[in-house]
Amino acid sequence: MFNRILPNTPPEDGLRILRESKGYFITNTARDLSQSDFKNRILPHTDFMVASERDEAGFFSLEITGGASVHVDLLRKQINPFERLRLLRQKMPRTMFQTLCRGINLFGYRPYPENVIRITVQEFAKYVDVWRVFDFLNHVPNMIPVFEEVKRAGKYLEPTLCFSTGPEHTDDFYVGKAKEIMDITGKDIILAIKNHSGLGSPARISRLVSSLKSSFPDLIIHYHGHNTDGNDIGRIVAAVQAGAKIIDAADHAMTGFFGPPPLMTVVDMLAEDGYNAEGINLDAVIETNNKLKKIRPAYSQFESQFKGFDPTVHIHKLPGGAMGSSFEQALKGNFLDKMPDILMKELPKVHIELGNFWSVTPGSQILWTTAVSHTLSGKRYENASQDLKDLMLERYGPFPFRKPSDDIYRTVFGPEWRDIVKNEAYAEKTNPIDIELEREKLEKAIYRSCDIEELVLYLQHPRDTVEFFKFEEEYGKTYVLPPEIWFKQGGFTSGDVVTFEDYKGKHHQIVFGESSVREHDVVTYLTINHHPEPFVYSKDDDNNKSIKQVELTQKQIAELAEMGEIRAKLAGVITEVHVKENDVVNEHDLLMTLEAMKMLNNIASTIDGVVKEIAVKNGQGVKQGDLLIRLKPKKSN
Amino acid sequence: MSEIKKFEKILIANRGEIAIRICRAVIEEGIKAVAIYETPDNESRHIYIANEAVWIGPGPRKDYLDIDRVIWAAKKSGCQAVHPGYGFLAENPDLPRACEQEGLIFIGPPVQVVQDLGDKTIARRLAQEAGIKVIPGSSILPEGEDKVSSALSFSKQYGYPVMLKAVAGGGGRGIRRVNNDAELLEQLPLAEKEAISSFGDGRLYLEKGLIRPRHVEVQILADNYGNVVHLGARNCSIQRRHQKLVEIAPGMLQPDLENEICQTAVKFARYAGYRNAGTVEFLLDHDDQFYFLEINTRLQVEHTVTEVITGIDIVRRQIRITRGLPLDISQKDVLCRGFAIEVRINAEDPKQNFAPESDKVVSVYQSPGGPGIRLDGMVYQGYKISSSYDSLLVKLTVYGFTWADATSRLERALRNFVIVGPKTTIPFYIKIVQEREFLSGQFDTEYIDRHPELFDYRSIEREEAKIAKLLGHINHKKYNPFAL
Repeated sequence: MFNRILPNTPPEDGLRILRESKGYFITNTARDLSQSDFKNRILPHTDFMVASERDEAGFFSLEITGGASVHVDLLRKQINPFERLRLLRQKMPRTMFQTLCRGINLFGYRPYPENVIRITVQEFAKYVDVWRVFDFLNHVPNMIPVFEEVKRAGKYLEPTLCFSTGPEHTDDFYVGKAKEIMDITGKDIILAIKNHSGLGSPARISRLVSSLKSSFPDLIIHYHGHNTDGNDIGRIVAAVQAGAKIIDAADHAMTGFFGPPPLMTVVDMLAEDGYNAEGINLDAVIETNNKLKKIRPAYSQFESQFKGFDPTVHIHKLPGGAMGSSFEQALKGNFLDKMPDILMKELPKVHIELGNFWSVTPGSQILWTTAVSHTLSGKRYENASQDLKDLMLERYGPFPFRKPSDDIYRTVFGPEWRDIVKNEAYAEKTNPIDIELEREKLEKAIYRSCDIEELVLYLQHPRDTVEFFKFEEEYGKTYVLPPEIWFKQGGFTSGDVVTFEDYKGKHHQIVFGESSVREHDVVTYLTINHHPEPFVYSKDDDNNKSIKQVELTQKQIAELAEMGEIRAKLAGVITEVHVKENDVVNEHDLLMTLEAMKMLNNIASTIDGVVKEIAVKNGQGVKQGDLLIRLKPKKSN
Repeated sequence: MSEIKKFEKILIANRGEIAIRICRAVIEEGIKAVAIYETPDNESRHIYIANEAVWIGPGPRKDYLDIDRVIWAAKKSGCQAVHPGYGFLAENPDLPRACEQEGLIFIGPPVQVVQDLGDKTIARRLAQEAGIKVIPGSSILPEGEDKVSSALSFSKQYGYPVMLKAVAGGGGRGIRRVNNDAELLEQLPLAEKEAISSFGDGRLYLEKGLIRPRHVEVQILADNYGNVVHLGARNCSIQRRHQKLVEIAPGMLQPDLENEICQTAVKFARYAGYRNAGTVEFLLDHDDQFYFLEINTRLQVEHTVTEVITGIDIVRRQIRITRGLPLDISQKDVLCRGFAIEVRINAEDPKQNFAPESDKVVSVYQSPGGPGIRLDGMVYQGYKISSSYDSLLVKLTVYGFTWADATSRLERALRNFVIVGPKTTIPFYIKIVQEREFLSGQFDTEYIDRHPELFDYRSIEREEAKIAKLLGHINHKKYNPFAL
């Protein structure tokens, strides 16, 4: 009788089940599919819709968070990533959730301080059972804090070998890396092979898995690949035949060109050879996909404008998760015509020059940006980005095989490059940050207390987290809306009806009515639960929005004041200006008086200097952040 | 017995909710109510509730403050009397004086009473003469160089904190608390300037500051025949920067103490020869010592709580007293039963320093109902918050037989409001009504400062209304701006 691994199965039992099972297991990589083939736009609404069918399907795990999804949840889906996992857990009690964690870069693009890494893993580990952890330089020390916290939380640790091709990428190298990992983690892990670009032939993957298995016979190997060249099913089959115990694939109703291949095809192919997909209920898989088929058209606008498999990935090596966004960038940046040059010539060249490391986040972004910049400007390495400089200074970790040439260092850093490399390499260690101070900042920004999960989101994406909380306060829990409403284009017409069930389980109906245009605004009548209410859309909103974005914080106002640019700390009326232009003032001298909330406030000089500009008059109303007076600092010499 | 006057029409020299409140009393007395309005108020609710309306000018504010125009409007419309409400001209003795000259009757105390008691130093002196304790205070600070030295010597004698007050201030305006010599020196010139710009009178005096002071006031009614009754006390301790936020009847004190304060207020009113409705205000120190603060010679915003627990209509009594009728109630008729709480629902954002939500439109307004709810409002669906006037939308007064009945009803009523458009003070009051000290009836004037967590709330807007807003944006933008 098959023993299903459940979210509360302790890892030691789960790993034993994996080792003792004759067949193989499947991870449904729904998150990776969304990121690779739908520009990360598949909504929680859709995952909730098929939650019970997927829970029945018997996957080893559902890869549903991590990668860029944490950021995108906040930025484009307007849902708290923790809340999404909580809701999904209610609907899927029997399936383990899996994440993809970028080690020291967590779910972002740059290294985080160690205390942020630890607290983040602790909080996500409450919902995430399987932790796939990688580093784009395969630099094991970058992953250690995450390893430790996953173990401490009693979850499944899945350290990862990023895989690529080329003369450096030998079996010996990868076996050595696996040993380096297990020297730290011990043997009770799952080892992932991360073939994010879908490189190598089935034979190559077969040899790699065999080498690992012959060195570590008890090792549980989880193969992950992308179908960019159309042949990942070949590699998956080879991996399983060579001894991989878990493989990644996705729901066929949603598969595209750059993400994971259809899992049902894998099941059928391997069944022919006598390999059983453990626990898989194909009826539930088919049921899931019947539902997904109906919803796919709502996402068509996010599918790649570039249709068809791309075997040239063997040359440019872009990871599946970056394919869509690269083309989107080329389209928006108006350089689609340069793509063949970038992908076939400059990108592979840069990749080799910079050391043929793994083209995956954030390394893939650095390679891509550098190649685009070279192609568009015609200049190579002259205007290097800070990220490229950090990479060359080995601030992300040491180059795995070799450093770039001296010529490249000279072009990037100038003639003094040797000194710079000597003095600045590793210089910027990320120091721990004061988490309580960050909590205060967040609470100030959202005018309420926050919980630990909200703080964790803020630590990673400060601005976007605050924006999301403001959105949620203003517009509610909008994840209840289906994609055809969330992504609605062209507006509604009078008589359109939107029904939804809110997060408290109450049903609502909103009917669109007629619009009327007035001088400064447009009014649309929405009938909410049979009660007509006007929606007023101010035509000035768009202009106001850009003004709002430059609204200054108290901290920024204080900083500007130290430079002699004095702005209103609060809204009020200027009742008196005590100085004139060209007056000499000393620090603490009274400059003007501001009446706010019926109290007079002294505005004093923040520096010694000369009055250069007085931006307000007596009796003038000012908003917070408005310029009051500009001082020219006295020369200190 | 002097002549009983008969009023055909009364001019209400005010706007907004208080104009409406007075209209109701006037009409109930069988008299016609005449409203006045400035141009920005030409759709204001009080116009429709009155029997007639007179436009007095383009405003804003200046025409409501223009005595000549008010008198002109009263005469033009054939009124016999003028009710000033609160704010605007209510405490300006020039209005009763002008009324007298023009043969109109001012609904309030006689000119001399308004004039004398409006001067806080005279009011204090009268209280002292009547044997009522006042907060130790200085005389008016002298002009010139002696100002600073006499201020410092007062502070030395009584110790800090010390309150710096404008002679002509009131309603919480023109008061600053100073905690040491340095602050005193810094605040003196600012306070003087503020007093000049706000009240046209820069004179200042000092007072000893109290510890965890409670603000308790007593409603007085006095007729022309020497009858003076009190209608019990009110506790208005919950204030923000000396502005009352929550007002409660009765005074929330031990019965003996509350009674003593009420008797003291009556004593003062008799001694001062007070007439009509007025409020005697006291501050209680942490040791229950109470001090006379001032007397307000007018109707107050919070008179509703007293009306609710006594059942006595104060505004109708004001009119009858002015007509020359004797009070129809004696002290033994005044029974205070239960508890009433009033909150001022303003279109303000408490999180942004209570900044008014000017120019926002109230696109949906639904108010609570059911037992124990009284609303005094001027808001309606489509109402636009004016930057020219105050941001009060509606006063909610709830009644409960016990304190717990009243507080739970207050929360229920606050939650039953639907106000779409501007932010309001409702969620802030919901936080107060859930707060332990408040629920246990313990509060003083530092309550708000002591509870910064009251500002820690989330929007209480209905979920479907929030989502409807998003759908509105998706519709108008032709795409979802939050999904890009």
